[in-house]
Amino acid sequence: MIEVDSLAAIRSGNRILDAVTLAVAEGTVTTLVGPSGGGKSTLLRCLNGLETFAAGSVTIAGHRLAPGAHSPRDLERVRRDVGMVFQSFNLFPHLSAIDNVTLAPRIVRGVPPSEARSRGLELLDRVGLSRLASARPATLSGGQQQRVAIARSLAMEPRVMLFDEPTSALDPQMSAEVLDVIVELARGGQTMVVVTHDHGFARRAATQVVELVAGRVHRAGPPAEILTAVAR
Amino acid sequence: MTGGRQRGRCRRRWWAVAACWLGFIAATAAAAELDDVRARGELVWGADQEGGGPHVFVDPENPTRLAGFEVDLADMLAAELGVKARFQQGQWDRLPLLLGRAADCVINGIESTPERARDWRCSRPYFAYALQLVARRDSPLDSPEALAKEGPRGPWRVGVLTGSAAEIEMRRRSDLAVEVIGYDGTVDCLEQLHGRVLDAAVMDDCITSFNADRFGELRGIGRPFAGGTYTILTAPDTPRLSAAIDEALGRLITDGRLKALYDRWDLAGRQQMLLLRDAAEVPPAPRGSLAELIRGALPLLLRSAGMTILLSVASFPLAILIGLAVAVGRLHGPAWLRPFLAGYVEILRGTPLMLQLYALFFLLPKAGLALPAIVAAILGLAMNYSAYESEIYRAGLKAVPAGQFEAALALGMTKWQSLRHVLVPQAVRIVMPPVTSDFIALFKDTSVCSAITVIELTKRYSVLALSTGRIAELAMVTALLYLAMSWPLSLLSRWFEHRLERRSERSQA
Repeated sequence: MIEVDSLAAIRSGNRILDAVTLAVAEGTVTTLVGPSGGGKSTLLRCLNGLETFAAGSVTIAGHRLAPGAHSPRDLERVRRDVGMVFQSFNLFPHLSAIDNVTLAPRIVRGVPPSEARSRGLELLDRVGLSRLASARPATLSGGQQQRVAIARSLAMEPRVMLFDEPTSALDPQMSAEVLDVIVELARGGQTMVVVTHDHGFARRAATQVVELVAGRVHRAGPPAEILTAVAR
Repeated sequence: MTGGRQRGRCRRRWWAVAACWLGFIAATAAAAELDDVRARGELVWGADQEGGGPHVFVDPENPTRLAGFEVDLADMLAAELGVKARFQQGQWDRLPLLLGRAADCVINGIESTPERARDWRCSRPYFAYALQLVARRDSPLDSPEALAKEGPRGPWRVGVLTGSAAEIEMRRRSDLAVEVIGYDGTVDCLEQLHGRVLDAAVMDDCITSFNADRFGELRGIGRPFAGGTYTILTAPDTPRLSAAIDEALGRLITDGRLKALYDRWDLAGRQQMLLLRDAAEVPPAPRGSLAELIRGALPLLLRSAGMTILLSVASFPLAILIGLAVAVGRLHGPAWLRPFLAGYVEILRGTPLMLQLYALFFLLPKAGLALPAIVAAILGLAMNYSAYESEIYRAGLKAVPAGQFEAALALGMTKWQSLRHVLVPQAVRIVMPPVTSDFIALFKDTSVCSAITVIELTKRYSVLALSTGRIAELAMVTALLYLAMSWPLSLLSRWFEHRLERRSERSQA
């Protein structure tokens, strides 16, 4: 589903990613771990073209991204198939929860409003928030906001989901409710890449753990193998 | 030195400043009588150099100098009083307001009218005028009587000098199929006639003959009609100055110097003297009661308030749309477009609204595009304010967190979809308070449009105040009308702010 081949990214003279190669099979969960500044988020953001890279290539959900600036059309195609959940949720504050979920299907996919809405309510129900469908983001807790954000991404029926430290801004209890949703998704066979510091989650859900240190793949393998060795 | 003494000194100095101020105000408020003029050695006379020739105009050969038969007349009168003449600029229709403050007298083709005789001191007549209709040579208008029937383009559009006898006469004539449009200067008016914005103009015959060379394609239509005389205005509480001016004029008339002056200016001196000899004095108009005044003025003021509202509500949405487009273009548009948009903003913000309106109304016709005054006014206001709105929207768009754009893009939206559905709606909410407050500012700036012949509330006030002499009372009524219109806008703006504050409190909680 995802092939990353010798990826290199340079930001203001610094090599953020260096010869990163990895593969993610369909229906599996890959977690990216490692120290801060190791290049985890940059790698994730290269996967859906939010950042560009200097060398190498990314193939994701059948689309190939080349080094340098991407064309808007390529990006739109990639992003329709690749969902992303951010550390700071980034819900649209001027829209209710349900409108956050239905906006992209309506305007990007052209789904009729009534259909988008019933599908959106199903998704909110799946993340346990159908009763808050008409609430504005500002009235929701952090955990609730992140669950709406997940539902929003799912509404585009992505083949791959990218999670950028989805629980770092949350307290443990809220983290737990969000992680439960993500684990549930993983069990349903959703292909996903998750940047996280939470080794508990990685042990629980990951098929593969990739440790990035200083922009290079330090180690990669099944969680049992890697996480025991990652020093605490 | 102790603090107390220092304070005492400060206080004394403060009193001295206040006393100077009061003295200054008292000195400027009291009208200068004949003795003050003599003691000063200067007769300050008010006129409008924009009014045009042959009265008072800027000498085309030496733009630092004023020329005109009234410039010479002022010099002669001052000499008779044993002083020097000094010119004071003022807007023509408001010249009488200079009296007692900035000028001792007004000499500028001021026609004797009953209203002026009631509100000011009027000298004996010094010049006789008649009204002349002018049109382009190719105009179908062949006599003043032809104005009774509509022209090929509907009612004849007739330009006049605002506040002049020509304006009063043309507005009084309900038998004519004309739309009367007031200008601040005679040259502006003739330019517009030349540029086909107007069908005709009515002005004093001396003005039309003076400008005959400059506007060769214009011609006088029919014989002059409805004449009168010019008078020199002085403040009501200066009987001796007024008498001295009358005596001086009498001497200039009897010894032939006035006739010589008019002959020098090609103003038919002999005929002028005959007309002046027979000119009847204009009796002062009676002063009406306050209730009558308001009953007469209110409908006119309300109608002009309607114009103020029309200008605001038509131009502001346009300003917002253009401003938003410019802001989005500057932040997200193609790189080659951005300098042009930045230039647009700087030019419109960096030049006065009045000048922009002038350009739209007086210069565009020269390029073959004659906009009606209201269209020019709405367009001018919209463009001027769009520059300010675009800066506000730019700030608003920048205030939307970067994550919002990324989240929209990550969902597969195009840049324009993200802008339209995610960024702009949020920016609009953020900038609501400053935008509402700009609407109030624009609402008041509509008064500038009077410079291009649109009669809105302020202009109507000014015209009414001068024709009735009830400057203070009408100012109160006008101010109340403005407040009645802007107050709801202020409430609206406060409501928006309140709503936004509540929302941000909630999101912090």
